[in-house]
Amino acid sequence: MNQKSIIECCKELGCCDACCLRFLGLKSPAAYENPKQYVINALGKQGASVSPALVVQVETVPAGNQTEPAATAPGAVSEPPHAASEPSPAPSEPSPATSEPTPDVSEPFPAASEPTPGASEPPDDANEPPNKKMKVDGVCTTCLGLLQQENWPQCNAMVKTMLDKKRYECETFACALSAPVAALLRERVVALRLRDACANYDDGALTPLKEAWKWSFGAQLARHVGLALDSGAVSPLLVTLHMEYLEEAGELEALRRLAPELFARRSASQRFAVEFTRRAHAPLYLGGRYVKLSRTLPQTPWLVNGRRMLHSSVQELICAPIAALYRLDAEDAEHRLKFMSAGREDVDVRCLGDGRPFAIEITDPTRQPSEAELQQLCAQISAGGQVLVRRLVPVSREHLALLKKGEETKCKTYEALCIKLSHAADEQLPPAAPVRVTERDLQRVNAYSNCAGARVLLQQRTPIRVLHRRPLHVRPRRILALSAHAVPAQPQLLLLRLRTDAGLYVKEWAHGELGRTRPALADALQARVDILALDVAEVDLAWP
Amino acid sequence: METPTEFKILDSIPDLNNLKSFTDRYFSKRYITDIDGIKNNDIMIMFHSNRIALLSLAPSHFFFNKDQEYKLNFTVGKVDRLRNAVKGKSKKGGQLLNPKSVVCKIEYKDGTSFDVPCGMKGTLIEVNEELVNQPELLKQYPDADGYIAIILSSIAISEATKSELLTHDEYLEVLNRCETKDLE
Ligand SMILES: [Zn+2]
Repeated sequence: MNQKSIIECCKELGCCDACCLRFLGLKSPAAYENPKQYVINALGKQGASVSPALVVQVETVPAGNQTEPAATAPGAVSEPPHAASEPSPAPSEPSPATSEPTPDVSEPFPAASEPTPGASEPPDDANEPPNKKMKVDGVCTTCLGLLQQENWPQCNAMVKTMLDKKRYECETFACALSAPVAALLRERVVALRLRDACANYDDGALTPLKEAWKWSFGAQLARHVGLALDSGAVSPLLVTLHMEYLEEAGELEALRRLAPELFARRSASQRFAVEFTRRAHAPLYLGGRYVKLSRTLPQTPWLVNGRRMLHSSVQELICAPIAALYRLDAEDAEHRLKFMSAGREDVDVRCLGDGRPFAIEITDPTRQPSEAELQQLCAQISAGGQVLVRRLVPVSREHLALLKKGEETKCKTYEALCIKLSHAADEQLPPAAPVRVTERDLQRVNAYSNCAGARVLLQQRTPIRVLHRRPLHVRPRRILALSAHAVPAQPQLLLLRLRTDAGLYVKEWAHGELGRTRPALADALQARVDILALDVAEVDLAWP
Repeated sequence: METPTEFKILDSIPDLNNLKSFTDRYFSKRYITDIDGIKNNDIMIMFHSNRIALLSLAPSHFFFNKDQEYKLNFTVGKVDRLRNAVKGKSKKGGQLLNPKSVVCKIEYKDGTSFDVPCGMKGTLIEVNEELVNQPELLKQYPDADGYIAIILSSIAISEATKSELLTHDEYLEVLNRCETKDLE
């Protein structure tokens, strides 16, 4: 048993060059990039050592015999079932309901193109291997043309168009083939013939159609679309080509009669429609910290009855350049960009220092942004002066849990600007005397403590401002550190720096919220007091 | 890039001549006068922008002209308002109130008393328990720590109530008219 006789046998049965290699069991991807050369070499090299009769026999197959069954082939066989010589693959109906997320599936994809008789085998090529069946209509009896390069340009153009439209800016892709069942059936028939014709032929070594297709069609598709072909396990982009063979139903009729229930199940699920499908990229997460410099900027869009109350938000300022980088329109951006953060601050509270940790989830990103692009994004976000982001880095999905945890467990440092509104309890002053923050006041606040292990333990009712959407509770919260400072040229003001448990409402502690937070700053100061401005100075979380 | 120290809270000092109190910052005041035909039986309802309402007495209430020791009684008939409890985001279990519901009684040492009506439909979220220990808060800070109760209603009801009741300006006008009438 040698390669030459297998090739000759395959050719006699109407196989294309690539299918010959498949039946040889060849698993070298390079061979499939130029199967014709391989076949020529195989036949040529071994030509001398092989029985000339066989060569003659092959060579002398008269062109006029082409419509006859392959009677002159070694181990003469009958036709493969059902019009094997006339596969008429054609663009099918757009597949109406596929499970894939892309709308692209509605575009019909041409299966193996129109038969191009003789085109694959220039008649002036002296080394042309014998190819009886191919001469009839040019389409391989086994792969139905899937492995024949003359059928590829249409497929290439289709894939290229879709890729251009989708703008996936990745550098690799994987491709997969959904082949007609008839191709499998035909492959089986040829394998059985080979077993009959060639002693010891091992059809277990046969190279699967899908593999050969990847090595041949896939390799040239890569050149055509300018992307590197990679395995489906590695590349984020999967291009799946669904090929339909219109004669399929008739050709499988015998099998259908054998096991009708299997066929019923199959047609109920999916017909062998033509599709262009893709797989979504794994989500990409970018982590960073934002500094919020505006007191009129909410963290997320503030909507009342669907109407926007303020012109923008931290979320929108951060997401806009990212959406632009990925060329997402407003609707896409809303679905594919998700803003997450370790807590939030009020509209009128700034977040200074290193800023607040946040992350953006990008669903189905077309590619990973470069270091330069990340820097560019930071510059664009920061350009408006309302929000500063100094660094953006890719983070892992697992890493995101830190954000949530940070929200619940991490301490925060605040600066609060407060105003003393009444004389302190021990100040012996006429009621009309101006209210001033005294050294005693500062000392009193700095010395104030009502518990062990922290400076202040307070009981805080759910603030009225969030009470409409949160349950009413009384929560114990701690102020871990507290210091009061005079404000130059502002005798009625005091500046507080405090470090608190997560979840403490600082404003409510400062003004007491009608007595709903106890004790309040007034209890430390021994005077009525209100808050004028609040800044988050630090969010204590190692991030990103 | 900028250093964090560039931003200081001291660059955020507002105009100290135009400061508003906590309730004036976040609430919109409405008034009902002469309830049940009783002169100066006036209440004030303060609506937060999130529709939560605070009930108190209006500054024109006759309560502020009577100089006698008093206490607040939150037991109304068989209902103890101090035992009001709400559960979850939807505030289940809160006592239901309508405009005529009495939220508390103010009882004077001389045995006289008057009722404080709710003035609107809604669910009682909490009453100001502190008024039991420090009843003087109601007289000193009726629109602050002396508030009487917190009431939650639907957006529709709160909007309707807000538009039905007297705004602060309308209230001042009504008071002016009364004064003029009294002088005549
Ligand atoms: Zn083939």
